Amino acid sequence: MPLNRKIAYIDLTTGDIQTKPIPLEVRKKFLGGRGLDAYLLYNHTKKGCDPLGPENTLLISGGILTATCASATARTHIMAKSPLTGLLGSANMGGFFAPEMAWAGFHHLVIKGKAKNPVYIYIHNGEIEIRDARDIWGKTVPDSQWAIREDLGDQEVKSCVCGPAGENLVRFANVMTGIKNSGGRSGMGCVMGSKNLKAVATRGTMDIKIARPAEALEYNKRFIDQIVSAKVNQTQGVLGTPFIWGATNSWGGVRTRNFQYNQCEYADDIEPERIDEICEETMGPHHMTGCYGCQVHCRAQYKIPEGPYAGKYDEGPEYTSQGAFGGETDTPRALTVLVGNHLVNQFGMDNLETGSLISWAMELYELGIITSKQTDGVDLRFGNDEAVVEMIERICYRKGWLGDALADGGIPAAEKIGKNSFDYLIQVKGMSNLHSDERATPGLALNIATASRGSDHLRSRPAIDLYHLPQEVLKKIYGNPVPYDGPLSSEHTEYVGKPWQVFWHENCYMGVDCLGICKYHTTFLGATLPNFEDWSKVLYYNTGIEMTPEEIWEVARRCNMIERLFNLREGLTRDDLNKGDMLNHRYFDEPCRRGAIDVVGRKIDKEKFIKMIDELYEHKGLDEDGIPKPETLQSLSLENEPSHLL
Amino acid sequence: MAKALYIDYQKCTGCRLCELVCAVSHDGISNPARSRIRVIKWEAEGLYIPMSCQQCQEAPCMNVCPVKAISRDEEMGRVYVDYDVCIGCRACVGVCPFGAMSFNTIDKKVLKCDLCDGDPQCVRFCEVKAVDFVEADEVCILKSRNAAERVSAAGKEASALEAQL
Amino acid sequence: MATESEGVSTAESLRKTRTYGKFRCHNPTCMERIQPEKGKKTAKCATCGMEYRVHWVNPSLPRIRGPVWDVNRKLAEAKLKEKGVK
Repeated sequence: MPLNRKIAYIDLTTGDIQTKPIPLEVRKKFLGGRGLDAYLLYNHTKKGCDPLGPENTLLISGGILTATCASATARTHIMAKSPLTGLLGSANMGGFFAPEMAWAGFHHLVIKGKAKNPVYIYIHNGEIEIRDARDIWGKTVPDSQWAIREDLGDQEVKSCVCGPAGENLVRFANVMTGIKNSGGRSGMGCVMGSKNLKAVATRGTMDIKIARPAEALEYNKRFIDQIVSAKVNQTQGVLGTPFIWGATNSWGGVRTRNFQYNQCEYADDIEPERIDEICEETMGPHHMTGCYGCQVHCRAQYKIPEGPYAGKYDEGPEYTSQGAFGGETDTPRALTVLVGNHLVNQFGMDNLETGSLISWAMELYELGIITSKQTDGVDLRFGNDEAVVEMIERICYRKGWLGDALADGGIPAAEKIGKNSFDYLIQVKGMSNLHSDERATPGLALNIATASRGSDHLRSRPAIDLYHLPQEVLKKIYGNPVPYDGPLSSEHTEYVGKPWQVFWHENCYMGVDCLGICKYHTTFLGATLPNFEDWSKVLYYNTGIEMTPEEIWEVARRCNMIERLFNLREGLTRDDLNKGDMLNHRYFDEPCRRGAIDVVGRKIDKEKFIKMIDELYEHKGLDEDGIPKPETLQSLSLENEPSHLL
Repeated sequence: MAKALYIDYQKCTGCRLCELVCAVSHDGISNPARSRIRVIKWEAEGLYIPMSCQQCQEAPCMNVCPVKAISRDEEMGRVYVDYDVCIGCRACVGVCPFGAMSFNTIDKKVLKCDLCDGDPQCVRFCEVKAVDFVEADEVCILKSRNAAERVSAAGKEASALEAQL
Repeated sequence: MATESEGVSTAESLRKTRTYGKFRCHNPTCMERIQPEKGKKTAKCATCGMEYRVHWVNPSLPRIRGPVWDVNRKLAEAKLKEKGVK
C-alpha cells in the first residue's frame, strides 16, 4: 500500500532521526504532498521564526499517489518558511526524486536544526543516515549529484540538492534534482544552505502494493490517453513549455523592460520554434525528455551552440527562462536565454526571480536611480546581453554591491537602493512576478495577488480563461465537483465570475499537489484535462481510499486554508504592499502599450479589482480582512490548529 | 512469425513508465526493481537506453541452466522460465550478456521479459514508440530504413553545402 | 460512489469539444476562429484584421507563432493614439 510510506523527523543539530507511520485519519484530512506539508509547517514552526535559523522546518515530500500506477506522479514538494518573503515558502518540482524516496519507504521528511559541517541525508530502503558533504560543498547542481553517486557507488541514486546559490544564501535559491528540475520560487534552496544541508539522496527498491492493480493499470491508460490527446500537450510534447511564452507574447501578455511593455516585439530568435530548431540541431530529432511516468515529455535537451559556453549540455529552456532572460530584460536572443538558463541550472537559482530583479535593476539604472558606481561598472541597460549574463553570476556569488543587494530579494534590495526604487518593483508578498503581464486579464491578476506563496501562477491561475470557452463548457468545468450558480464570462478581459474561477483553480492545483501529479495533467493549460472526478478513481484504484470528488475538494480547501493560517500568523494583512494580497500600482496606472489591438490601452480597474478580492474572500470563507471566519474553520475541522497529529 | 520487441533508444524520453507498467502488470506492485525492462541512463549527456531481454536464439541463460527450467517458446518468440522447475540458483543472471535476467530479492525469483504473452505493456504505454512490438523479420528493415533516412539527410545537407560553395 | 462508476467524467465528456485545424484570433474582443490554409505560414483574421505567423505542430495542429510584427506595431500605435495614451 502506498499508505504505508512513512514520515521521518531528522534533527541536523543533534543527529536524531525518528520515523513514524502516517495515520489514515491524517491522510484523509490532508492526503499528502503540499497539503500535508502545509499542515506540518503550521505545526512544526513557531510564529516569527527565523527562516534561516535552525528553528525553521524544511519539509520534503511526495504526494499520496507518488510512485503508484497513476500518471506523472513525479512531483517533489518542498516547504519551509520563506527566507525571501517571510511567509509561506513552497516549491514543487518534477524529475525522479519523490518516487525514489517512496520506494525507499518515505513520503514525508521533516528536517530541523542545523548541521555543524556540510552534510547530506541518505535514505535507503527504510534506513536514514546523515553523511559528510564537505567534499561536495561548492559544487554545481549536476556535479553535486554525480559526486553523491560516486560517494555511494550507485548510479541510480536520486538526489535533490542546493547549488552554490543556496550555499551563498541567495534568498531565492532553488532545490534541484537532475539537470534542471527546479523546486523554484521562495528560496527553499536557501533554507537548505542555511542548515548546511547540501543534499538529500535516496535509493529505494521497496514494494509499493497497488490496491487494485488491474483497474489502476487500465485506468492509467485511459488517463494518459485523455492527456496526450489534448492539443496543448501535443504542442508541449514538441515545443516544450516555451510554447506558453510564445503564445502569451503573441497577444501581449509578457512583461518586457520590467513593466514598460507587455510584449517583446520581434522576438523571433527566442520563439519556441526557434528554440526547438536549436535543440534539434544540437541534440537530434528526438530531443524531448520526460519526468517520471509522464508521456507529455515537455522538457527539451540542448547544447549551447556557440560562445564561451559552447557545447555545454542542459535541459530546457522553460518558458520561464525565455521570459526572465529574453523578454523582461529585452534581450530576445536565443544564446542569452540558453546561457542564462544554463547558469541558473548550474547555480540552483530561481530564473524568474533572477530575471525579474535584473530587469528591475535595469529600469532603475536607465532612470538614474542606481548608477554605474552601484553596478560596479556593469552597463545595465535594457538589451545588454552581456550584462544579463554577468549579473546572474554576480547574484549567485554575491559579487559587487548590486549583486549582493539583489541576492537578498527585491524588498530588502529596494531598502538598500532607496529613493523610489520600490515603486518599480513588480512583486507580491516580496516575491517577484512571473514574466507574465496581467494588465489585460483581471482573473490572472487576481491569481497573482492572492497566491499563497507570493506572486505566482501555479497556485490559482485560471489559464484556460484565455481560451474563450463557451458558457456551457465553463459551467461544466466550474460547476464541478461543487455547484456554482453565479455568473461566468468567456471574456478574459472581464471581472465577472473570475473570483470563483480563481477559487476553483486554487483548489484544483492544491488537489494535484497533494496527489503528487504534475499540473500539466489537470485543468491548468487544457480545459479537457482531468480533475476531481478523475482523481477520485485514481486514488481508489491505487490506494484503496474511497473519497468522493467533493471530499477531495474539501481536502484542497482545508489545505489552502492552512496555508492562509500560516501566512496570517506570519503577518499577512490584506492591503500591505509588502506582505498582502495587493498588486503594484503600475497595474492600475500604466496601460498596456502593445499586443493584440484590444489589449492595447488596458489596465486593471482598481475598484473592480478590490471587489474581486472581496468576492474571492467570500468564496474562501474569509472575512473582509482576509481572516477565516470561525464557521469556516469549523466546517474544515481546523478550529483547533495546531493540532499536532504528526 | 512471432513478433519481437524493437527498441529505438533515440526515441526514449527516459520517463520509465515502461518499468512501472511492467512491474504492476506482472506483480501488481510498483517497484522498478521488479521490472523486466530497465532504462539505463547517462543523465549528464541526456542519453537513455531501455534494456530488455533479447530472447536470444543461443540463449546463454538457457544453456547454463542446470535444471533445464529455461526453454525457447517458438510460438511466442521468447525464452521462457518455468518457475515450477527453477531452483533460483541465479546461474542465468550471471551469464546474461545484457543484464536482462535479473533477480528479485523480495520474492527470491529470477525475472525476465515474457513479452506479456503477446501484448507487451511497455509497448502499449510508450507513446513515443521507443519500445515497439513488430514482426521479427521487420526489425532489420526498420533499422535499415532509419539508417537510410540519416544517409539521405546527410546527402541532402552535403549537396546543399556544395551548392553554397 | 463515483469511484465505482465506469461512466465518463466531466473532463472526459468535454473531449468532444476539442477542435482541430483552427485557432482563435488573439484579439480579446474578437476571438474568432481562424482556419489557416493547410501548411500555410501566415493567416489573417477576417474579422479584426490581426495578422499572424503560423506554425504547424503537426499536419492537423496549427498554432500562432506570433503576430506579423510590423502590422502588430502599426495597429498598436493606432490604438494608443485613439485611446490618447502617451
